[in-house]
Amino acid sequence: MKPIEKFEFPAELVPLFQKAKRLEWLTLVYLAITIVVMVATMGNSQAMKTAWFEDMLSMTPSIAFLISARIIAKPANKEFPYGYHKAVSIAYLCSSLALFTVGSFLVIDSSLTLIEGDRPTIGTVVIFGHQIWLGYLMMIALVWGSVPAVFLGKAKLPLAKKLHSKNLYTDAEMQKADWMTGFAAILGITGIGMGWWWADAAAAAIISLDIIHDGYKNLKQSLFDLIDQVPKTVDNQKTDPIINHIEDFLKQKPWVKEAEIRLREDGHIYFGEAFVVPVSPDNLTAYVEATSKEIENMHWHLHEFIITLVSNLPQPEEK
Amino acid sequence: MRLLLLLLLMVLFTSACDNYPRDADKTLEKIKKGTLLVGYTENPPWVVKTKAEPTGLEAELIKKFAKTQDAKIVWVNDTEQDLFEQLEKRKLHLVIGGFTDKNTWKTKISFTRPYVKQQKEKHVMAVLKGENALIVALESFLHQQKSSLNALPASYEAN
Repeated sequence: MKPIEKFEFPAELVPLFQKAKRLEWLTLVYLAITIVVMVATMGNSQAMKTAWFEDMLSMTPSIAFLISARIIAKPANKEFPYGYHKAVSIAYLCSSLALFTVGSFLVIDSSLTLIEGDRPTIGTVVIFGHQIWLGYLMMIALVWGSVPAVFLGKAKLPLAKKLHSKNLYTDAEMQKADWMTGFAAILGITGIGMGWWWADAAAAAIISLDIIHDGYKNLKQSLFDLIDQVPKTVDNQKTDPIINHIEDFLKQKPWVKEAEIRLREDGHIYFGEAFVVPVSPDNLTAYVEATSKEIENMHWHLHEFIITLVSNLPQPEEK
Repeated sequence: MRLLLLLLLMVLFTSACDNYPRDADKTLEKIKKGTLLVGYTENPPWVVKTKAEPTGLEAELIKKFAKTQDAKIVWVNDTEQDLFEQLEKRKLHLVIGGFTDKNTWKTKISFTRPYVKQQKEKHVMAVLKGENALIVALESFLHQQKSSLNALPASYEAN
């Protein structure tokens, strides 16, 4: 059995991958502090509880990324001849499910608050002998829980695109959810202080729609990836143009009469095969080996590209 | 980033207002020079029922609090269950009866911050939900009483 060569990222992307891992550790530390700060200030505010729950769940993409980063490093073996790349797709599924859950939770929770007419009461606390309204402390906690998230998310986006990491991309979207819920909660608490008991829940409900949209989009994509949809780009989830490019490249080869290709995405690696009808039976082994090398060299995504010789291209089944 | 600045400005602006936080139903404004509706249930030494108005540690505190607001008190005596139900229906402003912070009603109504600790029990009063100015006023009042409060329960116990 031919094992698949151990491969993750080309040399120039390895530092970026290391940077992504460092960012994820930073995110985890930051979220852990945020969770403690939130618990300390939340009192009986529903808005703060929601933001806190959101912070708990938003650890998922980072944890999933770091765990999968360890798993994919393992070389392929007899038991796992295709390697461990699919761990990335599973991590992506976990992350997008977490994002979707955050959105759903927010929308249900805030709607219930609005329907029940539940009025949040925020009292006072005594710190170093000074009595202050807990709302101010909550706002400070929420600023801490929002502002760094903006920068973390911004740092992750370009890395996600370069590393073709949909998990990292979802994580960046999670950070967007973080700061959006944080700001919504600040607005909500300011509103509560103005005597508008509904302000907080209304702000949360509006924000949650955007989070649900992102979560659903990614959840769908992660499932499609697991059932081997053609490779899609990280950001706008369009079919990767490289597929057409490879097909054109093959068809221009003098030894190729007809060709069709099939690709799938395992994490950030593309596996696939071409079905080629050769012009003549001469010299085929050399042609096949040289051409697969050329295709694998087109992009670092492409790995283990197999060329299969056929006498006729398989025709789509007729109904 | 622009959104962030706008938000921070808004927060600063609203927080700089005089009467902040405010009530959803302007309860504190209505209480000032008006009436304070207090529910009570007997639980000595916190609340002691008499033929006239109730006495006890908490009842005396509330009388003092009402004075700071120039308010007249209307006392309502009932069972704990009925009082909390009325508070939930917003027919009372606050309820006293020696409640602790472990009270099972805490999800349905709001309690003040524990204002006195006695025998490991933290004592609280129940307040109308969503009225932030009222709860801040009451908690501030209770906080100012703190030094005299810590000695109080013992003396009531002795009686």
